Parts: sequence; C-alpha cells; structure tokens
Amino acid sequence: MSDTARYLVSRFVTTLLIVLGAMLLLFTLSAIVPGDPATALLGPQATAEYAKRFIAEMGLDQPWYRRLPTFLGHVLTGNLGTDVLSGRPVAGIVGAVLPYTFILTFASIGLAVVIGVPLGCYAATHRGSALDHALAFISVAFIAIPSFVIAIFLLLIFSIWLDWLPVLGAGQPGDWLDQAKRLILPTTALSVGWIGFIARLMRSSMLEVMGENYIRTARAYGLSDRMVTYKYALKNACIPTIAVLGMGIGRLLGGAVLVEIVFARPGLGRLIFDAIATRNFPVLQGAVLVVVLIFVVTNLLVDLSYSAIDPRIRRDGAPQAAGQ
Amino acid sequence: MQNDLELSVSRRAFVAGSVAATAGPLLGAMPALAQAKTSIAVRIERDITVLDPAFRGGPHDANVIRCVYQRLIKQKDSSVETELDAAAELKQVSPTLIEFTLKPGQMFTDGFGEMTAEDVKFSFERFAVAPVDGKISPYKGDWTGLTGVEVTGTYTGKINLSQPNAGLLAIAIADASGCIVSKKAVMARGVEHNTKPVGSGPYQVVSVEKQRGAVLKRNPTYSGAKPTFEEIKVNFIQDPKTAELALRSGELDFAVLPPSVAEPMRSAQGIVVDQSPGLAYVWLGINMEKPPFTDLRVRQAVRLALDVDQMLLAGFNGKAPRLNTLIMQPILGAWTEAPVYKRNVVEAKKLLAEAGQTAIKTRITILNQPAYQTMALVAQALLKEVGITAELDVQEGGTYWDAGKGEAGKNLDLFMMRFNGKLDPNFLMQWFVSSQIGTWNWQRFNSPEFDRLYQEAIVESDPAKRAAIVIKAQQEMDKSAAFVWLTNDVAFAVRRASVKPAYLPGAIDWQLDRFTSV
Repeated sequence: MSDTARYLVSRFVTTLLIVLGAMLLLFTLSAIVPGDPATALLGPQATAEYAKRFIAEMGLDQPWYRRLPTFLGHVLTGNLGTDVLSGRPVAGIVGAVLPYTFILTFASIGLAVVIGVPLGCYAATHRGSALDHALAFISVAFIAIPSFVIAIFLLLIFSIWLDWLPVLGAGQPGDWLDQAKRLILPTTALSVGWIGFIARLMRSSMLEVMGENYIRTARAYGLSDRMVTYKYALKNACIPTIAVLGMGIGRLLGGAVLVEIVFARPGLGRLIFDAIATRNFPVLQGAVLVVVLIFVVTNLLVDLSYSAIDPRIRRDGAPQAAGQ
Repeated sequence: MQNDLELSVSRRAFVAGSVAATAGPLLGAMPALAQAKTSIAVRIERDITVLDPAFRGGPHDANVIRCVYQRLIKQKDSSVETELDAAAELKQVSPTLIEFTLKPGQMFTDGFGEMTAEDVKFSFERFAVAPVDGKISPYKGDWTGLTGVEVTGTYTGKINLSQPNAGLLAIAIADASGCIVSKKAVMARGVEHNTKPVGSGPYQVVSVEKQRGAVLKRNPTYSGAKPTFEEIKVNFIQDPKTAELALRSGELDFAVLPPSVAEPMRSAQGIVVDQSPGLAYVWLGINMEKPPFTDLRVRQAVRLALDVDQMLLAGFNGKAPRLNTLIMQPILGAWTEAPVYKRNVVEAKKLLAEAGQTAIKTRITILNQPAYQTMALVAQALLKEVGITAELDVQEGGTYWDAGKGEAGKNLDLFMMRFNGKLDPNFLMQWFVSSQIGTWNWQRFNSPEFDRLYQEAIVESDPAKRAAIVIKAQQEMDKSAAFVWLTNDVAFAVRRASVKPAYLPGAIDWQLDRFTSV
C-alpha cells in the first residue's frame, strides 16, 4: 500500500472514530439534559396521550444506547431521521439551510484572508512602523469585539442611517443580486474578528520565517526583498494560517448563530440552537452529524494542503528538516 | 413701477407655479403610491412548524392558518363578534346540536374541488373523534363534547355534542381549530400537507422555508371579500431588535414587539406604535403541597409581602396593566370587583409568626427572560423584608417548561408563569383544575369546588349565569392564596404608517386577510 493510500485509510478511520465519538457524546448528553421535548415543542395544548405518542415517534422512549445504533444504521442509508413535529425529513431540513451556511462561512473566511494576509505581511515587513502599531491596535480591537455587536453597528450604519443595504434575511431565491446584497453585512460582521486574528498570526509567522536560514541564504544569493518575502517567506508563513482557517471554517459552520439571528438568516447554527432550545433531538442529531462531517473533511483537506505547500512536511504530519 | 410690479408678480407666479407644478403631481401621486403597495411583510417570532390546523405549532402558525382556510364563522375585523364565513347559515338548534349550511361554490386550491359538508365532518372529527392514522390532535380539548358531525346533504350537516359547550363557537368553530380542510388533500398529501396546505381562504401558501417563514399570495378562487394585499411575507425574525431595524428601514410592515423595543419607536418617522392590553396572564404561583406553603397563612403572607405595582414597574417599565384575577376584560366572567392586594409588611409578618415560620428559605423558579428576571429580583427583595429568603432559579425554556410537571413539580416552591389567553373563560380556567396537577397546574391547586364550577361553566349557555359561575370559580382561586396575579401583559403592535393591521384583543391572533393600506 502506498504512503498516500495508507494515509487516506488512516484518516478515514480517524474520521469515523471522530463522528462516532461526537454522536456518542451527543446522545449521552441528550439523555442527561433536563427538559421534556414534548413540553418544549408542543406547549400546554398537548394532551398527555399526544405527548406520549410524540415521544415514542421521536424514539425517546428508548434508552440512548439503543437509539444510537439505530440512528447510525439509518445514517448509513442516507436517512437522518424525521422531524416529528413537522413530519419533514431532517436531511431535507439540513439541506435547505446548508447552502446559506456554506456561502456565509466561505465568504467570511475568504474576506478575512483577502484582507488579513496582506495586512499581516505588511506589518511584518514594516515591523515597528507607525502602521504596524496601528494595525496591532486595530487587529486586537477586531478580535475583541463580538461579531453580533459588529453586526448591530453595521445594521445601524449601513441599513438605517445610510440606507444602502437591506436588514433582513438571505434574499429572494433566484435573485442573485438581492442575495449578494444581503450577504455583505453578515459576511463583514463575521469576518472582522478573523481579519484581526489572521493579520496577527500572519505577522508573527512571517517574522519567524524571515529569521530562518534559508531566507538568509536567499538574501545572500542577492535575491530582491520582494522575491524573498513573497516567494519564499510567505508560502511557509501561510501554513499556520491555513491550519487555523480549517478550524475557523468548522467553528463558523455551527457557530455563526448570533450573526444569523441578528440578520434573520437561515443557517446550521440557528438550526442547532433552536433544536437544543426545543429539545428537538432528531433535528439536533442530524444537524450535528453534518457539522461534524464537514468539520472533519475540511480539516482533512487542510492537512493534505500542507504537503502541497511545503514538501518538507510528510504525510505523517511530522515536519522534517530541510535537506533530510 | 407698473413694470416692476408686473415683473414681481410674474416672478412670484413663476415660483408658485413651479412649486405647484412640481409638488402637485407628487402630492397627487402620494395616495396613488400608498394604494399601489401590493405586498407587505410581517414578523413572527417562532418559525413556521405545521400549517395543518389540527397539528399547528402555536399562535404563529394559527395566524397563517386562519387566512389560508375558511371556517364556518369567523371574527369580524378586530372584534370578538363573529360573522358567517364558509357557512351560509349556522344555527344553534339546542345546547347539544348545531346545524350548518355551507355556501356553494367554495373551491379548494390546487384543484381539490369544492368544499362540502363531508370536508367539514372530516375537519372537525379528526381532532379526536375520528383521528387520521390514529393521530389525535393536541388541540383535542378545543372540541370538548363533540360526538360527531352528521352529513345531511352536500352542503348541510349537524354538529352533535354529548354535553353543551358554551365556548365551542369562540374556541373551536370560529378559531383555528374550526378551519375546514380538504379531506382529499389531507389524504393525498400526508405530512406534506403540513407545509403545503390546501385551503379555500383569502390566501394560499406559495412557499414555506425553514427559518425564513412563509410567503402567501391572494387566492384568486376565494369567494369572499378580496384582501387588500396581493402578497404577504410572513418572516421569521427571532430577535426583536432586528425586527425593529427592519421596521425602521421599511423592510417590515408589522410586528408585535416587547415594550423595551417598541416604546422607543414611538418617535420614529413613518412608524406607529399601538399599545393595548394583552390577553396573556402572568402570575406568581405558590406550590400548595410544598411545606411551608401548605399553610394558608404562609401563602397569604407571601401575597401581602409582594408589591405587584413595584414588580410591574421594574419588569414592564410600568406599561403593563395590573391583573387582580384570572379573567380580564373583555372576556366573559371578568371579576371586576376582585380584591386588589396592597403590600402590608406588618400583616405578612404577623401571619408568618402565627404559622410559626419566621425564617423561610425558598426558591423562585423563572424563565430566562429579562422581564421575569427583573420582577423576580424585586420579589426577592420584598420577601426578604418579611423574613423570607428566596433564591432565584433562572432556567432556559426547555428546562423551565418541565419544572412543574410530574414528580419534579412537587419540589417547586414559587414560580412565575405566563400563559396565552383566548376569548373564552373556560380556556383560561382549564389549567387549574385538579386533573392538571402534575401537568400545568403547578400550584397543585386542588379544589373540588373549582372543578365543579369549571364543568358548570362549560355547559352553561346563558352568558349572565355563566359569568356568575366563572366569578365564583375565581373567588375559589383567591381563597387559596396560591396565585399572586401580576399582569395580563401589554401588546405593542408596531407598524409602518402605511399599513393598518387587524387583530383580536391582545394582538396574539391576527387577521392577516383584513390588513389594509392607509
């Protein structure tokens, strides 16, 4: 078996174990957490017999250790279960909000990279300058301010005072311009913190790389500063940033709840949040499984990208010294 | 001079003429523009769950349901009075028999044909008498006493009851539980009918999207009065602050908002804030089965230790009216003479001393909402003064709504609760009967007299006699001292000035098909 094949198999097994572990944790917690789903979902109107039937339809009359294998068995056939309240398949519910989550997550991370990486590079190559100090201050401020606070300010400025951008939702289906307009503010709100974070990370990575022997060697060969910085230093300095981006994507997939609530946008984060609040376990299980899977796959892609960027990094993940 | 004057007049005339020429068409066009509004957007605070009347998720679903389906009768514009809807005639023949005749030619959407008495039978009986696939509706209680609907002709039928039900018209027939579905559509669509409902009402559902809400379009085949707006977007907006901003920006036309958000909007341009008493009821309950609250004197002491007005000032900025009993105006049986308890620390301490309780430690269980938290903090301070040390147990919804149920309910001490009301006294009383102990009667208020009066009020069809029974029942509640009534809430309906909404008292139940342009 080749190194690549062995590596992929091991990652696949790891992925399965992570998914299994996450679901095991979720099912255990759902058994411990107080609150009756029938009460939370149906309210005072529900009769005792209806509530009992409802619980049975959700499968919650069974212990979690019986529900987990049943759930995983259904997952293998592509069935994430059914939302007992609406009668709709969970896969359909998750599928309906997933595109909004993907668009928002990747747009936010994309914007953060486009702005944060150049800012970090600039700060590193102009270390100690006024702009470096200003960027340090702005970056920390960006990281410190919660995204939902930024979201509210953006709405007040751009939607209420200036009346340039809309407040609500994700736009009309099929109307790309409307959807793009409604993406601007949520994307900005989510990416601001990441811009600051990536800029700081990039700066420190660049400074570290710039002190490496091979950079000094490149300079000794008479290569221009621009060539040294952007061809040799930047590529290697990007690796920690890429690792962080992998984690960031995972976090944003399920963690953009507050921004989604402020902009009344559909999304996986909101779906999970509502499912927890109403103890809607079938929806919660399905949505969490999808988030875990995307998270694991994203990080796998990130790992694979390391070796493409830096041949010194072998597939076993251990960086090896140049020349070995 | 003459020339100057002429010139001057001419200039003025020119300026005036220019202004008139510019403003005239604009002013003339303004009403036309207002009339031209064909689509409105309203906010719901919970996501659409089920648009099938028998399995609806709550008032947010019901507001859509009532304009998608027809009922035999329905409430008039912003009124508790009813008028004929799908029925050409509705006659109460006896306390246990109602006869109806449908108007002919009322068509269901999506080609499901004409509404017949068979659809009425199916729609009503599926709640409890003849459930489809064994699924008994959670709203079964709305049809208490129904034994069946007898079809006597294509458009005629009889609603038979085992016992009189005075609230049947208001709670079931004229409300969401009285919506007439197409039997064929329900059977053909199955669970899909939950989000693709087939009705014959003023609007039809174009789309329902998770976390976004629903889009309604005027139903071209509707045989009643044509609604003003061609399209209504029912937007699910969780955060009231977002709803406020959307109203200010003009993206939203109507929302019911909490006082803290609505009040500052009074000065906003183009926004109208309508304030009216709510139809919900908020109270502090005392578990009568948990020592030391098993002693009436301790419960009375709690009631006297609290200052309801002060709590309301803190929780609702003083905007919510005080409630002194369960049934409020305009519901039948409102007890206007109910005692208004004033804070009396001396009397409260005396009662506690008589009960041998001078250092009580207790717990107030509340939902994690700002108004309740603030009121509970005030209550905590007030109780401290009479020697009752209360800790606050703030819980999130999923846990809170389970706190008083089953065995756990026995351990509850004090709690704050809010229920939505409807325009019938029995609907409000139902949660306090002894059979609700362990379910929604968290006070564990066990009064055979109250239970008897509750049953008596259901079957009494004379409004005056029924009101007297309901008042007696409230007096029983008052005697128990297990209820410290706080408020019937306050409804802040916020709208764009160009839209006139329609809703029933309390602003919980909307009449979307009766929204108009201003």
